[in-house]
Amino acid sequence: MISLQNLTIKQFHQGLLRKEFSAFESVQAFFDYIEEKDTKISAYLHLTKDLALSQANKVDVDLAEGKDLGILAGVPLAIKDNILVEGEPATAASKILANYRAAYDATAIKKLKEGDAIFLGKTNLDEFAMGSSTENSAFKITKNPYDLERVPGGSSGGSAAAVAADMAVAALGSDTGGSIRQPAGFCGVVGLKPTYGAVSRYGLIAMASSLDQIGTIAKTVEDAAILFEAIKGKDELDSTSTDYGGVMINHHTELNLEDIRKLKIGLPKEYFIEGLDKQTGSAIDEAVKLLKSLKIDFREISLPHTKYALSCYYIIMPAEVSANLARFDGIRYSRMQTHAEGGQRNSASSRRRSALEEIYFRQRGEGFGDEVKRRIILGTFVLSSGYYDAYYSKAQKVRRLIKEDFDKAFKEVDVILTPVSPTTAFKIGEKVDDPLAMYLSDIFTITVNLAGLPAVSIPAKKCKINEGETPVGFQLIGKPFREADILGIGRYYENLINK
Amino acid sequence: MRNSINKKTLEYLAELSRIELELEVPTPEGGRGPDRRIGEKLLKDLQKILEYFDELKEVDTENIEPLAGGTIGKNVFRKDEAENQKPKIKSQKLKEQFPEEENGFLKVPPVFG
Repeated sequence: MISLQNLTIKQFHQGLLRKEFSAFESVQAFFDYIEEKDTKISAYLHLTKDLALSQANKVDVDLAEGKDLGILAGVPLAIKDNILVEGEPATAASKILANYRAAYDATAIKKLKEGDAIFLGKTNLDEFAMGSSTENSAFKITKNPYDLERVPGGSSGGSAAAVAADMAVAALGSDTGGSIRQPAGFCGVVGLKPTYGAVSRYGLIAMASSLDQIGTIAKTVEDAAILFEAIKGKDELDSTSTDYGGVMINHHTELNLEDIRKLKIGLPKEYFIEGLDKQTGSAIDEAVKLLKSLKIDFREISLPHTKYALSCYYIIMPAEVSANLARFDGIRYSRMQTHAEGGQRNSASSRRRSALEEIYFRQRGEGFGDEVKRRIILGTFVLSSGYYDAYYSKAQKVRRLIKEDFDKAFKEVDVILTPVSPTTAFKIGEKVDDPLAMYLSDIFTITVNLAGLPAVSIPAKKCKINEGETPVGFQLIGKPFREADILGIGRYYENLINK
Repeated sequence: MRNSINKKTLEYLAELSRIELELEVPTPEGGRGPDRRIGEKLLKDLQKILEYFDELKEVDTENIEPLAGGTIGKNVFRKDEAENQKPKIKSQKLKEQFPEEENGFLKVPPVFG
């Protein structure tokens, strides 16, 4: 019988080839387990059972016919519910998309289907990926598997919790300001945000297009790399996507220790601040010590504009949000039931609204949650006449300074190590009414998106569920398209803590 | 304060964003009426956030070019031709999401009046 606990992609693949279990049996075992476990965790919004079982059947037939199976064949995955899977719901955890079903596959999904991976279901998130705790979902609150009173992080909280609780072998998420890395850190799993352009965003419900990136969440660095390898590459349906320049990740994750020792790691002093909580700080110190034991060269560096990244991000991102979410008009992507269908109202300027406008106002008014409204209105403000220069244009200039900080640092070092977030998982409800406090939990991750860099969140130590510990992650930031460096170091680190 | 939002600006921004802020909720009298608390909380939150942004004023951005993002830094072109098959989205599937359809046309309420 298949054991779901700590099951990795490679172990799954070997088990399948040795006929220890069939793909069909494994999918059934996962659904049985999810039905029991997810009543407590609430990681999934919808299970895609029919799809999963038919995908599994195909894998079993292929295996019986002696066809070669790829590394992802039959591997049960969880998909964040802002990524389109044809024929399945894609709500982005918003009421306004409650009745929407995807008309096509995202490119990342298409590639995974070509590799015969299996989709168990769609996972919970902060509405339209806006949030850091998954509490902003219109449908349910996901719990941290390590402590049910705490948040799993966000916005890919459902995907991170599903992987951490063995309810999927690995998962896809999306990361605009830390939405893969922060929940991975809170849930003790690995989260990879690839370089901007490394993975096609076609079929990802857009939030902030100059920052959004699809990435992977897995139990090991190797699994995160395998999944990344499967989804990366240029796609003519996303003009920002680009080819990988021939650098193969598999080759590089198998870097030997000699190669790893040639890499220099920078510790930016601006990331080791007073606001960092003690547990996080000491876990990061331990991680650095362990890496030093591999004889990797460390040095202190400075990223002087780090302090301004939060303001910069919370101007640029809402500006893009206000444009991207204009498409949700209650017309094109299904319509939800609204409460009042009464007469027409006058607008704020006492102008009488048309019947069509009335639909827009009601659908968007009732369909969007508070955080989404806050960001659309803030974005509209920073782009509006008279404020554009003071906010939006200023933020774009600061964005360049932040990127130049990294450019300079990467002349000295190959990889930068930082905490993932200032604290470990916080309590449900603790920050939900204070947007600024919530925004501050992204402070160490947003710079990476502003600069378009790859970064991975790696558990600093092994934590066991139900032993009262909450996980701490550290972040490795790489040069553009050098996922190989951060994943390579990550793998050696993982070997050290698994000893 | 110049760079901040007052109630009137908020109403105007909501108007531009096509968002109804005063949603109808049950009233103590048993009817339904607009809920003004949403707008009040939103206004306070936005003022606090904008105050935080003031720190950007201390950054010297003289002669710095704005950065819009991206990693490739060059234009991407494709042939200007009809893509009948790519992406292979059946128009029917897209139309199915639409609330109303008549003779293959998508139906919306009157735009004027």
